[in-house]
Amino acid sequence: MDAYIKIRGLRKIYTLSNQRVDALRGIDLDIERSGFVVFVGHSGSGKTTLVSTIGGLTRPTEGTVVTDGVDIWKLKDRELSAFRNRTIGFVFQSFSLLPTLDVLNNIVMPVIFRRNGTIDVTALRDKALSLLSDLEMSHKVNAYPSELSGGEQRRVAIARALVNDPEILLADEPTGELDIRTEQEVIDIFRHINTEYRKTIIVVSHSLSWIDKADTVVVMKDGQVRTDVQDPVQALMGEVCTG
Amino acid sequence: MKILVLSLLDLVRRPRKNLMLVLAIVIAVALLTSLSIVSTSANTTILEVISKTGHTLTVRPVITERSADDITSDTLTTSEVVFGKYIPEHIIPEIERSYDKAIKAGWERKGGLVARPGIGEINIEPPTWAPRLYGKTSLDGNPVIVTGVDFYKEYFVRFWWDLASGEWPTDATRIRQAGENEAFIGGVLSQARGIGAGDTVTVNGTPFKVMGVLQETNSADDYMLFIPIRAAQRMFDKAGYVSLLSVRAMCPNCPVGDAMVELNKTITGITATSQLDIAGVQFEFFNMLYNFLLAVVTATIFVAVLSIFNVVTGSLYARTREIGLLKAIGASRCQVLRIFLYEHFALGFTSGAVGYLVGIGMAIVLNAFLDIGAILRVDSHLLWRALALGILCSVLAVFVPALKLTRIKITETFRTQWET
Repeated sequence: MDAYIKIRGLRKIYTLSNQRVDALRGIDLDIERSGFVVFVGHSGSGKTTLVSTIGGLTRPTEGTVVTDGVDIWKLKDRELSAFRNRTIGFVFQSFSLLPTLDVLNNIVMPVIFRRNGTIDVTALRDKALSLLSDLEMSHKVNAYPSELSGGEQRRVAIARALVNDPEILLADEPTGELDIRTEQEVIDIFRHINTEYRKTIIVVSHSLSWIDKADTVVVMKDGQVRTDVQDPVQALMGEVCTG
Repeated sequence: MKILVLSLLDLVRRPRKNLMLVLAIVIAVALLTSLSIVSTSANTTILEVISKTGHTLTVRPVITERSADDITSDTLTTSEVVFGKYIPEHIIPEIERSYDKAIKAGWERKGGLVARPGIGEINIEPPTWAPRLYGKTSLDGNPVIVTGVDFYKEYFVRFWWDLASGEWPTDATRIRQAGENEAFIGGVLSQARGIGAGDTVTVNGTPFKVMGVLQETNSADDYMLFIPIRAAQRMFDKAGYVSLLSVRAMCPNCPVGDAMVELNKTITGITATSQLDIAGVQFEFFNMLYNFLLAVVTATIFVAVLSIFNVVTGSLYARTREIGLLKAIGASRCQVLRIFLYEHFALGFTSGAVGYLVGIGMAIVLNAFLDIGAILRVDSHLLWRALALGILCSVLAVFVPALKLTRIKITETFRTQWET
């Protein structure tokens, strides 16, 4: 069976202060549909760049990302926006909610950028409320982001990521800056979404807490995927200890 | 929720962020609106006065430097009321003929007297010539200007005269039918001397019954006592002389200017002035003032737009992260641009409307403060202009920086801070 996401020969070169930085050095990777993949590695290993490239946020210098048979970096700007809107739900560490909108409006926001079809306002509201209920946030429906804790903001961001019913949930450090208990709650939510909604989950994290929950753990170093790793925890600990 | 609602919610949640922008546009729109209202109203008021007075021509004795030297300061009072210089009545028919000839020639040149099928020749009513004789005397020991007039003709020329007191069927009837020993008194003089309707005043030994007090007209008339011209000629020993002739041309769009030129050219010893000339000077003044203020306002608006541009650019860069988020969740560049355009359309519309109202207020204050005395008129198209200007300023200021920001790479926006 073909992989849901096929990454081939992916390279990304930045120029920072006239210095060439090879963020990704020819990555080949397959991600299965409904898989739960966690990317780990130390800072600067290229995991965020890789996930941004998969999510259609960062254009690679070379290589292809084919999602569900579509080479996303051959899409025009407008088509790529539509792809992000339709196929991917993003959850970021602190890059999350619009401060001027309440929880409900933050959740439904991706729907207004859909370019085809009409919006059934009642159905949309019901869906947003149902997601909030699933995430135990029904009591904060009219609150503004500044009135929410870090964990609550993350839950709202997850609800927003799911409102368009995307195939992929892509999260960059979704438990960064959270305490251990809240981190565990967020990880459980992602696992729940993976098993209940059959969404493909792609997570970037420094935290080892994710490793136990993932189907696949991808360890990255210097812009490449390490294929020699048997125990990701040990590999990461080793990185930390030697690095 | 639609993109428009998203834009409006953002505006409502961040009112202070846009205060400077709104203020700059309101000032610009208000300045232009007030300037337009005052200048248009002033010009319209002048035109109305001209149309009311029927393009009146005034004929006075000419005052050269030499003749002015002959007149003592006691005899020459103002440019409007001249003492000591007179027009002999025997040259009035010559003045009238010259005037008629010039008017007819003017009409012929315009083609107005050419007979057309079904219309025929235009019938020009004869003009009314109202003579005045000014004299200085005293009334109960106080100096007073006594003006001899032909009441019938005078009212015809100055049909805006009204009586402030007196009980008669109509002002026109009463004034025009005044008898040999009857007088009217200007409003200010009446108050100053305590003379009212029904009183009798004795001027140089001749008693006159005051038949009415004229309403104030903000002219020299307010300070005068009006008596029949023959009585005045006898009183001041000026039989056969008048100080002034006022002409009311009895045809619309009469070539009064032509008549004025003809009279000044052909009749020696007199000077004719057309209301059109006076109006022309006023128009010129207002246009000069308008152009000057327009230049000031344009410069102000230019500076305001630059300020708006700076404010908007700063405000947009503070929202870089928001733009990144919107793009990440699937907003296209066009949709992000639409958010800002909607926001600024709403801001421009509101600022334009507020600026329009403030402009009306400013026009009222300007009119009173500068003592322009125009009857203010607010045309409905001014509102549309104000709204258009507000929207244009606001939308233009946001368009370029917003367009630039929509091109920003999403991952670059991750490094910026949220604007709250």
